[in-house]
Amino acid sequence: MALTDLFEKDFQELEREGILFGTLGKLVAWGRSHSLYPVTFGLACCALEMMQSTNARNDMARFGSEVFRASPRQADVMIVAGRLSKKMAPVMRRVYDQMPEPKWVISMGACASSGGMFNNYAIVQNVDSVVPVDIFVPGCPPRPESLVYAVMQLQKKVRGETFDQDGVELPMVEGWTRS
Amino acid sequence: MSSHRKNARNAGHESGPRAAVLSEERHGAFETKLMRINVGPVHPATHGVLRLVIDLDGEQIVSLSPRIGYLHTGFEKTMENRTWQQVITYTNRMDYAHSLGHDLAYVLAAEKLMDARVPERAQRIRVLLTELNRIASHLISLGTGLLDMGALTPFFYTMRERERIFDILELVTGVRMNYGYFRVGGLYRDLPEGFEELVQSFIDDFPAALDQYKKLFLKNDIWVNRTKGVGVISRQTALDVGLTGPSARASGVNLDFRKAVPYSGYEDYDFEVPVSEEGDAYQRFVVRADEMEQSLRIVQQALDRLEPGPIRDPDRRISLPPREELETSMEAVIFHFKLVTEGFHPPKGEVYVPTESARGELGYYLVSDGGSMPYRVKVRTPSLPNVQAIAPASIGGPFADMIVNIATMDPVMGDVDK
Amino acid sequence: MDPLVSGERLADRMADALADLGGERSERFDQTYVTLAGERVPDAVRRCREAGFEQLSDVMAIDWLEYPGHQGPRFTVVYNLFALSDASRLMLRVNVDEDESVPSITPQWPAAGFFEREVYDLFGIEFDGHPDLRKLVTPDDLEGHPLRKDFPLGETPTLFNDGRFLDPATFRAGMMGRDAGRTGWAGGARKGVRSEQGRADGDGGEA
Repeated sequence: MALTDLFEKDFQELEREGILFGTLGKLVAWGRSHSLYPVTFGLACCALEMMQSTNARNDMARFGSEVFRASPRQADVMIVAGRLSKKMAPVMRRVYDQMPEPKWVISMGACASSGGMFNNYAIVQNVDSVVPVDIFVPGCPPRPESLVYAVMQLQKKVRGETFDQDGVELPMVEGWTRS
Repeated sequence: MSSHRKNARNAGHESGPRAAVLSEERHGAFETKLMRINVGPVHPATHGVLRLVIDLDGEQIVSLSPRIGYLHTGFEKTMENRTWQQVITYTNRMDYAHSLGHDLAYVLAAEKLMDARVPERAQRIRVLLTELNRIASHLISLGTGLLDMGALTPFFYTMRERERIFDILELVTGVRMNYGYFRVGGLYRDLPEGFEELVQSFIDDFPAALDQYKKLFLKNDIWVNRTKGVGVISRQTALDVGLTGPSARASGVNLDFRKAVPYSGYEDYDFEVPVSEEGDAYQRFVVRADEMEQSLRIVQQALDRLEPGPIRDPDRRISLPPREELETSMEAVIFHFKLVTEGFHPPKGEVYVPTESARGELGYYLVSDGGSMPYRVKVRTPSLPNVQAIAPASIGGPFADMIVNIATMDPVMGDVDK
Repeated sequence: MDPLVSGERLADRMADALADLGGERSERFDQTYVTLAGERVPDAVRRCREAGFEQLSDVMAIDWLEYPGHQGPRFTVVYNLFALSDASRLMLRVNVDEDESVPSITPQWPAAGFFEREVYDLFGIEFDGHPDLRKLVTPDDLEGHPLRKDFPLGETPTLFNDGRFLDPATFRAGMMGRDAGRTGWAGGARKGVRSEQGRADGDGGEA
C-alpha cells in the first residue's frame, strides 16, 4: 500500500486495512476512560463493597482501575463511598482540590448521594454540595456490580457517549474547565 | 543543619525539656526537635477515617493523640425518632463489618424490655448467621491488616471467602451487607431452600482456606518480624484502657461474653475461646484466626440443630398476627393496626444487655418511656475504647509498628463515631 | 437461670458496701444500680475497682427533659462496671443538674477518657479533673450539645420533583400517632400525601 492510497482510497476500505481515523481528543478520551485510577476515599459501609468490587469475583481492575492510589495527586476519580459527615466535608474538599485535572467524582451509595437514611445534624445531605458529582450510584450499599456499572457509565461520559435526561448529548468532558 | 531546615516547617509545636533530653541521648551534639505529623483521616491504612496526631522523634513515636468524629452520624439521636422496630435498620450501619452483631445486641435488649420469648429456631438461626458474620469480619481484619503491611495476596484470598459468606447471607436476607433480618421477637422470614447445602459446603471448604491463609503469613519471616513483640499490651494496660475483644484476649484478659454472660443459647454450644498471654500484634492476629475456627464449629453445631418451628414470638403485642386471623378476629385487626401504625410499646425502664461482637463488648443501653420510640439508645461500641489502646501500644515504637497496631486493634470507624 | 440476676454476687455485696458513701441501691430489669452524689463517684469507683470490678464498660448520660413524669435533676450519668471474676455488673448513677459538674474518674482509670469526653460533647456535662476535656465526635463549628432533648435533630425537608415539600417531623408524628388527627385514619389525608393513600382501610403490609 502506497502513501498516496491514503488520499485516493475510500474511507471504509482503509479501515478494513487496519487504519483507524479519529481526532486526538477521542484518542485521549479513550485512554483516559480506560485508566481511571480511584483515590482511596472509603468512608463507611460502602467502602467494604468498594473493596469487594476489586476482588477476584467482581474485578474492577479489568475496567482500568488497576490500583487505588493513596495519594490524590496520582488519581483520576474519587469514589465517595459512604456517609459524609459535616466534620469530614472540608477534608474531602481538600482531597478533591489536590487531585489534578481532569478529575471526576462518583457518589457511591444512598448516603453520599442524598444523605440516605440519615437526615440529621451530622450528615451532609448531598455530596454534590461539596464536590461536583458525575455519577450517582443508588443502593445501601450498592452491589459491586452496580459500582462497576457506574464506572463504565463514567467511562462513557469521559468518552462523550452519554446523554442527559432531556436526550441532549453531553460533550466529552475536557476536564480543565470544571471547578 | 539539615534537621533544622526540615523541622523549621513545623515551628510552633512543643520543643520543651523532654525533646531536649531525647535529643541529648540520641543525637548527642545535634539539637533536634520533635516532628508533629498528622496521619489521616484519609489514609490507606487507618481502617476508615481515623486521624492521629503523632509526635515523632525520628522514627520513634513520642506521643499519639487520636482525633475521631469524622464519621459521626448521629445514630443515637436518630434512633430516638424511629420506632423500636425501625431502629434495626440503623443498628447494622454502625459496625458495618459485623452488622449482625449489632442487630443481635439491640434485639436482645429490646426483647428483654418487652419480655419476649424468642423461639428456639429463631435463636439458632440468629447464632448461625451472627457467627458467619463474625468470620467475615475477622476475614476483613486479617486481609486488611496484612494489606497494611504490604502483603497484597492474602487480601484477595480472604475476600474470596467473604464472597461465599455473602452468598449465604444474601440467600437468606436478600442483601449482601447491612442486613435487616432480625426483628424484635424473632426473624423477618424463614430460611429458604438450599440454605443448608450452601452452608455445609462453606463449612467443608473453609478449613482448607484457613490453612491457606496461615501458610501465607504464619511462617512468613517478614510478617513474623513485623508482628512478634510489636505493640505489646499487658493485661493491666488492657483493663486500664478499656480494651475488649480479641485484642484484649491476646493480652490475657479472659473475657468473652458468649461464655461469661451467655445469651441466645450460646451456653449450649461447644466452643473454645482462644486466649494468649503475650499481648503482641502476632498474638492478636493468631487469636483472630483461631476465633474463626471456633466460630466455624458453632456454625456447624447450629446447622445440625436446626429444627422446623416458628421464627417469631407469637405474642401479639410484638409480632403481627397471621393474616388469616384478620378475617375473623377483631382483636387481631386492632393489634395489626397498632403494630403497623405505631409499633409496640415496651414498659418504662432501662435495660442493658452485653454481647460479644467481633471487636469486643457490644451492648445497647435502652431507656424506654412507654412510647413507640426509644427514649434513649446508648450503644456501648467496642471500637471506641479500643482506639484508646493504640496509644500505649505504639508509644516508644517506630511509626511502622503503629500501623500494625492500628490494624490489629481493628477499629471500625462507624463503631467509634456512631 | 437468667445470668444477669444478681444473687449473692459481687455486684450486690458492693452495692451494700457503698451504702456508707450515701449510695442508694435500686434494681431495674435484674440490674443492680447504686445512686450516688457526684463527689462520691471517684471514691466509689476506686473501691469497686479494688473489690474486683476490673472493667469499665461505659460512662453514659441520659437527658430526662422529655420523660413523662420525671422529677429531679435533668441528667443522669451512669457508670457501667463489670467484674470478670463472677461476671456481675454494677451500675453507678449520678443525678446531675444542668450546670453541675461531676468529678472525673479519668485520672484513676484512663478508659473513661473517651467516654467522658463523649458525654461532655453530646450532653454538656463537665467532668472536673479530666486531663483533656474537649469535643470528641462533633465538628468544631457545631455549637451546642446534640444529644440534649432540646437540640433539634436537624432534618432537611425533602423536596420532591413535582414540588411537594415533605417535612419529615410532621410526617413521622402523624405516622407514629404522637399527633392525633394527622394519621389520616380519622378521615383527613396526611400533609404531603395524595388523598387516596390516607384511607382508613388502607393496607398495612408486613411490619
